[in-house]
Amino acid sequence: MGALQSVPGHPEYVDLAEKTGFSFEQIGILHKRFKQLSHNEDTLLREHFSKIPNLECNPIRSQIIGAFFDRRNFRQDGEGTVEEIGFEEFLVIMSHFRPPTLHMTEEQRESVRRDKLRFLFNMHDTDNDGTITLEEYRHVVEELLSLSEAMEKDTAKSIADAAMLEVASISMGHMEPDEFYEGITFEHFLKLLNGFEIESRMNVRFLNMDTTTLCK
Amino acid sequence: MSWFTFPVDNLLCRCLSISITCLQYWLTLLFVFIIVPTVLGVSFGVCGLYMRTLLKIFEWATSRIEKEAKEKNQQLYKPYSNGIIAKAQPSSLQQELLEVRGSAGGLPSEPEFEMVDIFFFCRRGVESILDDEVTKRFSAQELETWNLLTRSNYNFHHFSMRLTVLWGLGILIRYGVLLPVRVTLAATGISLLLVFTALVGLLPNKKLRFYLCEKVHLMCYRICVRALTAIITYHNRENKPKTGGICVSNHTTPIDVIILANDGRYSMVGQVHGGLMGMIQQAMTKSSPHIWFERSEVKDRHLVAKRLSDHVADKTKQPILIFPEGTCINNTSVMMFKKGIFEIACTVYPVAIKYDPRFGDAFWNSSKFGLVCYLLRMMSSWAIVCSVWYLPPMNREEGEDAVQFANRVKAAIAAQGGLVDLIWDGGLKRAKVKDAFKEEQQKLYSKVLVGEQEVGDERDNTHSEDTNQEEDERIQLPQMDNEDTVNV
Repeated sequence: MGALQSVPGHPEYVDLAEKTGFSFEQIGILHKRFKQLSHNEDTLLREHFSKIPNLECNPIRSQIIGAFFDRRNFRQDGEGTVEEIGFEEFLVIMSHFRPPTLHMTEEQRESVRRDKLRFLFNMHDTDNDGTITLEEYRHVVEELLSLSEAMEKDTAKSIADAAMLEVASISMGHMEPDEFYEGITFEHFLKLLNGFEIESRMNVRFLNMDTTTLCK
Repeated sequence: MSWFTFPVDNLLCRCLSISITCLQYWLTLLFVFIIVPTVLGVSFGVCGLYMRTLLKIFEWATSRIEKEAKEKNQQLYKPYSNGIIAKAQPSSLQQELLEVRGSAGGLPSEPEFEMVDIFFFCRRGVESILDDEVTKRFSAQELETWNLLTRSNYNFHHFSMRLTVLWGLGILIRYGVLLPVRVTLAATGISLLLVFTALVGLLPNKKLRFYLCEKVHLMCYRICVRALTAIITYHNRENKPKTGGICVSNHTTPIDVIILANDGRYSMVGQVHGGLMGMIQQAMTKSSPHIWFERSEVKDRHLVAKRLSDHVADKTKQPILIFPEGTCINNTSVMMFKKGIFEIACTVYPVAIKYDPRFGDAFWNSSKFGLVCYLLRMMSSWAIVCSVWYLPPMNREEGEDAVQFANRVKAAIAAQGGLVDLIWDGGLKRAKVKDAFKEEQQKLYSKVLVGEQEVGDERDNTHSEDTNQEEDERIQLPQMDNEDTVNV
């Protein structure tokens, strides 16, 4: 009864805990939240997300919701999108937002970094060709800005263009006038955000992360 | 064959007569000890004793669960201390963006500027998926202590033998004793209402008719209250709604109506139904003017408003009872009040109703249970304990529009009942958020980019001026180079 005693009646949590790094308690709480969002069904659909008012206010909500149904984020090297997700996939996506723990080696931190950046990269790269083209980037910027009088349509366009220009100059150095810049690849993306501590910025402050419930 | 059927017949007859006698005894007991005192308004003080005993048992049960959990070295799930995420201090969009961007260090280039901001919105989005103020209001509240109803607690895998026995006993009492008594009472109450109002309706004298009808209604509400074992405490009765006004209250369950009508006469507003509800509605109209709308009329807002104003203008008529939230909320918060009723010019009497969830959860989750199922659940809980506060009357002030007035009333009700005051519409239970909200966020963000001044902080102002300058320079540059380098 040794190790099982600490599992609160849900043996499948052991698997999930190992996969995602959440504690049993946290998994239990997230499972409740999953059930609440899906109205007690086993799978979540896109329209369940649209019932959350705070999320509806978010300018990039369609990208965020899309990320939940994107198989590239399920850590199984899949591609394409799905129409519904189960609790396991929900948990895997949430684990992208876990902060790095205190006793991580440099290597582990680097891998956490890459993981988070990959998540963001996938969010931009909608056609999954491995690069963020100008169109894709511009689309995201436009979602963030509004088509109101405060900002004209062209301004949004030019901000996106300016951004791409900077990216091009940083990653490619000097370019010939007729050279075509295809887009930001994942390696460029990593290089760009080199100074940015994403592992401490892009995470959600989950509670109850410290309880060690695994008795080995 | 007759020799075979005769003993069987005899047996059947015996059984039948025994059960009829039992029924007779039971009904007599019920009548003498419950119905008559209820009708006369006499109370034996049993309720207080009942509540205190139950509370003691619940505390014991909870402490046993905690003890068991400690022995087994497991963690208990406590809904209030186990939040999902740590809530941040609320700050303006600009401050939060600056904080996120700040870690980009000395790199001045725009890609950081854009991508960093996406991190922020992404994180905010995920936080709201994990924990938001609104969706949790549409499911029943969770309890810290356990009240022997498995519906309300998630720690029940920690049970020992003793607790299981207690729980089993609880089930026996609730379903075997309480439920049948209550169902009988409810049936009696409703049939008495229908029968007596029909009888009284035959009387020629109008005044006498009205007077008797009132008494019949009061009796019926009292019996229904007993049928639910509703233990109600009314506070500040001097503020009770008077004629020619509107009474507004927060809405948790259809039982709210019975609870309020038990202590005063109100005119109800609602749609005309068929069947039993329709008969009850007709019976109610015999003694006082209620406002029932045909299905087709409900859509016509002007007609509705006119009928309500006419009713209110007549100072002899009872106050109208209305629930401006428009739907049932789980009694932890008060959601947006619809402004329609607040446009009518008259005195508003706010009432706050707060249920004690320890004895039974009164919230009606209409997507989970139908009405009959819900009523059965109510009748098999321990009791419905609630407090009703009558707040002082409010009037619309000069220069205040309907929406502001509605919010003022809502805040007063929330403050009195100890509920959270939310701006969100209860209609979000079923509908989607309007696009207007998303556009608001987008406008806010673009203002930050373009560098409009925010009122207040000097430091913020200077920073945004700098951003403005940089912004202009950057915008001009690409327009010169655009055709050359970045080919689309």
